[in-house]
Amino acid sequence: MTTVAAPAIVHVEHVMGTAVSFHLLPGEADDVEAAAQARAALKRAVALLHHVDEVFSTWKPESEVSRFRAGLLAETELSSEVRDVVELCGRAKALSDGWFDPWAMPGGFDPTGLVKGWAVDRVCDELRRAGVVSAMVNGGGDVALLGDPPGGGRWRVGIRHPWREEALACVLHAEQAVATSGCYERSAHLVDPKGPASAKRAASATVTGTSLAMADALATALAVGGEPVFRLVAALDGFAAYWIHADGTEFATDGIEFA
Amino acid sequence: MRRTIATVASTAVGLGAVLVLHHPRAPVVLGGAAPPRPHARPAASGPPPSTTPGAVSQASGSTVPYGYGQLAVKVTVRGHRILDVAVSSIQTAESYSQMLAQQVIPMLKREVLQAQSAHVNVISGATYTSEAYLSSLQSALDSVHL
Repeated sequence: MTTVAAPAIVHVEHVMGTAVSFHLLPGEADDVEAAAQARAALKRAVALLHHVDEVFSTWKPESEVSRFRAGLLAETELSSEVRDVVELCGRAKALSDGWFDPWAMPGGFDPTGLVKGWAVDRVCDELRRAGVVSAMVNGGGDVALLGDPPGGGRWRVGIRHPWREEALACVLHAEQAVATSGCYERSAHLVDPKGPASAKRAASATVTGTSLAMADALATALAVGGEPVFRLVAALDGFAAYWIHADGTEFATDGIEFA
Repeated sequence: MRRTIATVASTAVGLGAVLVLHHPRAPVVLGGAAPPRPHARPAASGPPPSTTPGAVSQASGSTVPYGYGQLAVKVTVRGHRILDVAVSSIQTAESYSQMLAQQVIPMLKREVLQAQSAHVNVISGATYTSEAYLSSLQSALDSVHL
């Protein structure tokens, strides 16, 4: 039986233009200290997300990334956290064979396709350090998991159906990170770095793995790149892909487990 | 188009490590597709302190634009189960929109209830915008526990 028990702390924060849901289980039900630590960690996590928004938003002209895009800051003048993200973007670009390319975005370098996942990864680190035994953080559809779900068993992650927002395409088991990218919402953010000739090939692209930052970038790459990216992810250690083609055909690499 | 898929499928099979789903499942692999499950809650893990088991509570969402007008949804919960999803307010500009809304709402309600019967912890790709969150399935999952 797969009953889902209740997490002890649930919080929804509206930040980075999206809603971030937290479901946390601090420890034993009667452990008051663990609960207090988890609440403090949640507070720090929420502050971190707002900080990331201030630094990385491409919508805020005064943000560090906006000033970098505008040429007002040199790469050598960037803060260490922005340099970390630039480096991660470089690795994601290489791993995806150029299908994820923040340098090919209109208006200049735009790490948005990876930043949300990176921020949620950092949030999970914060929660883990605070001793939280079980956590689900959903940053606008990009999901990071920690420990086992409340009530035991395995995490069950519903994948939004590409054409019916109120329905699920399937339910997957996952341990750490699940990112889904699609052409159904904010499709304008999916810019094809290889030109308009390689048009939309995926209705929905899901990548699971050990890092949400990388899963986020690879899901974006799979949504615009289709088959070649699917094959790349299939060969990557620690990552797997579930791809719904524009005609509704579904594909899954090894490592995708349907619940 | 079929030819493209066949190519994809054959290269995928060629990779060996790849599973190809030749028969797409029904769009909703949820309550409808799976055999009905008992919905008993586990004895070991209790509800949060603020929730009385068996108590019925209602949560209303904010008014959100839905394409043809504005609507707000009210969710009725007992313990950790959604009992009902109802539209608490709806404003549409035209009678045509009103008619569409009447078709959409029962579908929304059915799907929320079905999603719950799939017992998911979280939904990936459920929403991208803060506005869309309010009408999303993740929002319904959160409201059950809030």
